[in-house]
Amino acid sequence: MHETSIVNSIMRTLEQEFEREKLNKMKAIHLKVGILSNIEPRLLHNAYSAYHLTHPGYHHVELHIESTPLKIQCEVCNHITDVQNYRFICENCDRPSKNVIQGEEMLIHKVEFED
Amino acid sequence: MVEKSTKTARGTVQCENTNIHLLKANDFVADIIKKEMAKTGTLLINITSSAGSGKTTLMQKTAEKLKDKINIAVMVGDLETERDAERIRETGIQALQIVTGGICHLEAQMVHQVLDQFDLENIDLLFIENVGNLVCPSSFDLGEDYRVTLMATTEGDDKPKKYPKMFLTSDMMLVSKADLLPYVPFSVEAVTKDAREVNHEIEVLQISSITDEGIDQWCDWLLKKVKQKKG
Repeated sequence: MHETSIVNSIMRTLEQEFEREKLNKMKAIHLKVGILSNIEPRLLHNAYSAYHLTHPGYHHVELHIESTPLKIQCEVCNHITDVQNYRFICENCDRPSKNVIQGEEMLIHKVEFED
Repeated sequence: MVEKSTKTARGTVQCENTNIHLLKANDFVADIIKKEMAKTGTLLINITSSAGSGKTTLMQKTAEKLKDKINIAVMVGDLETERDAERIRETGIQALQIVTGGICHLEAQMVHQVLDQFDLENIDLLFIENVGNLVCPSSFDLGEDYRVTLMATTEGDDKPKKYPKMFLTSDMMLVSKADLLPYVPFSVEAVTKDAREVNHEIEVLQISSITDEGIDQWCDWLLKKVKQKKG
């Protein structure tokens, strides 16, 4: 259910962001979603296909989803750690950190338009 | 098998780097809610957990303990029925049911839609009892001041690592149904360790709405936060 809400939110956002004329030329939407975003790319693709049933105008617009792994940057030693098993601890100095620099994003990263 | 496209590439493609948050529409409304709450100095708390961890019972308990000290109201989200709101109303406080009709979480828009049903000027503390689900509600900011997640001793102590986003975005974890600890294979130490590995700032409190364990501390925490919000 939550994927359907996300697709609706994406399309609503794009409709606010761009003029109708431009939207008609939209070719592809690129998303960047972190491992922590609780978004499963396959399910989002399915939800997007379902969206087309009620909004056929967008059926030719491709959806690309890039998943990004989880990284934290230590506030004390600045070291960047790839988080494994959800242990939010700096591998260099062993201090806990909530400073997530990658992996939480849910972004409409890029939109392509036919020229 | 998916047929390969025979369409040839034509023209140039113009790209726009947008980097817009996927839930921009939600977060925009969440900001409006925040501003409304700031105007009246109402503390907004989003209560999340799995289904059946004791959110509504805690709301009843909290209402009983605090209703003579502060004005409390609750909005409660469920897929169907008005049962939870009815239970909360029995304690004598205002409760409004949001029926999501199958949606697995509350969105800022749903909260904003019902806000005008409340006399916020006269409400010190507004709880949002979210839909019982440790996954989807974690992504939707409702404009809350604090997010509190219940974790019942009957659920198993391995949940923080299984549902990290919820624990990462929570300010407090309430280990609920603590009265059952002697009968269930649940380690408060293990769940606290896991939760703190995900979020080292998370506050942890052990409570039981049956024996009242930890309820006074919970209410004191709420009163302190209400006072801070009033400024």
